[in-house]
Amino acid sequence: MTEPLSFMMGQYQALFPVDRQYSRRHLWLQSAGADRWRVGFTAYSVRLLQDVYFLEWSIDEGTRVRDRQEIGEIESAKAVSSMFPPGAGTVIRFNPALLNDPSGINADPYGTGWLYEFAPDEDLLSAAEYLEYLRSAWEDAQRTIKGQMNEG
Amino acid sequence: MSQHQLTVVISQAQGRNPSKRRLEEDIAAALIGEPGISVTLVPHLYDMAPNHSGMQLLREVPGPLLVMGWLYERAIRWTLDRAGVRGHEGVTLLKAAEDVEDDEDSDEDTEEQRAAGGIGSLEVPDRSVWCLDLRVSESAGEFVNEIRRVRDELHTDEGSTTDLMSWIQGTPSAAQLQRYLQPERLLEARRAFDSGTATLDDKALLPEDTGRRWYPVIDYSRCTNCMECIDFCLFGVYGVDALDRILVEQQDSCKKGCPACSRVCPANAIIFPHHKTAAIAGAEGEVSGLKIDLTKLFGGDEGESAIEMAVRERDRELLLDGREAVGMSVGIRQKHRDEMDQLLADLDALQF
Repeated sequence: MTEPLSFMMGQYQALFPVDRQYSRRHLWLQSAGADRWRVGFTAYSVRLLQDVYFLEWSIDEGTRVRDRQEIGEIESAKAVSSMFPPGAGTVIRFNPALLNDPSGINADPYGTGWLYEFAPDEDLLSAAEYLEYLRSAWEDAQRTIKGQMNEG
Repeated sequence: MSQHQLTVVISQAQGRNPSKRRLEEDIAAALIGEPGISVTLVPHLYDMAPNHSGMQLLREVPGPLLVMGWLYERAIRWTLDRAGVRGHEGVTLLKAAEDVEDDEDSDEDTEEQRAAGGIGSLEVPDRSVWCLDLRVSESAGEFVNEIRRVRDELHTDEGSTTDLMSWIQGTPSAAQLQRYLQPERLLEARRAFDSGTATLDDKALLPEDTGRRWYPVIDYSRCTNCMECIDFCLFGVYGVDALDRILVEQQDSCKKGCPACSRVCPANAIIFPHHKTAAIAGAEGEVSGLKIDLTKLFGGDEGESAIEMAVRERDRELLLDGREAVGMSVGIRQKHRDEMDQLLADLDALQF
């Protein structure tokens, strides 16, 4: 089975290839050798961010990180966010191609726009499991965003 | 001879970053001797105290004025406004690539931008002031071309018959301001200073030193005079003028690094030009001026609202001052937002 799975974000169809695994932090992971996974933003993240123009890592390569540990910052035309790893593990190296120009994240989110290589300590989700999570979290996500709009 | 003089003032970068220095120097050098233009350099606009000679110079400029610096255009414009340097908003066409689209529709109501619902500036003299962010291009040529374009525009519809040089000679503070009339010498002195070979003459020529400052700048095109900032800030930064308009009265009472009042401002009118968040530093607004914070969705802690963040920042400064933290108990008004509809419309534009 090679067809990507799809999830409708309003009018927008986000696609999720099944040749890789996923995390609840809206990241994909694809094996890139022994104990080494490439990590990138899913179509869901990229759709929320839109055009990325600033990316900064706050940790060094080779750092062991906790789940929910902040590892960097990202800013786009519409949004800002701190960045978090897929879970606990080790950040092995960052994608050098993005360091000066993060626009690769938009151009090819599932390919050359990968963020970093990572050795996870924890189990990952399949595309189908991730999609199930998206369905359950989507209402919440919309509320979160609209809630901010109210509070400024 | 000098009809329609445009005065160009370059507000220098903080520190001595060589590439920034070079851009400033290349622009100044290209404009020295350019017909219809007087150019000079002052220290970083935001760091100059009101009585700094560079600020005095800006106040003395008689006609059309173009100020360029390492700040968002809004931050330049309203820092100047607070210092009493005012004029109609001149439209600049040199923008960062991603801003271009936004600016096309906003050109219509640039003048004082009262359409946006702000109380506007006061006592705006009949001349234009252009502001340029030096970060939008690395090419001196692009800036020089834009400045020439502005000058050429003057020939058709605006102009003063006195140039900076002849004007300054007649003012009471002429001696103080003399240095700014010799941009070549200023650049020379600066080069000597940077390379550690400055003579006493060079040092005498350079403007007074400025330290790094931190204080809010109000954008009156957005400010509705709602007074939330003065209620919220417990450090005596804000006051009101004779017309009961909100004012940043005691700039230096502000707490370095604290942007809390800007977070509580319902109109997003308070700028801290050196804050890391673009919307607080004075970038033109997206989604009504605020960026969506996706941190919570991407795995962060339960996201703090802007108010919670502001309260936490204020409490930290209170404690550092040896005072008691007040949390949410002081200066938080029940939010009533007229712009709710607008915000939802903006969100719909994202097509969720």
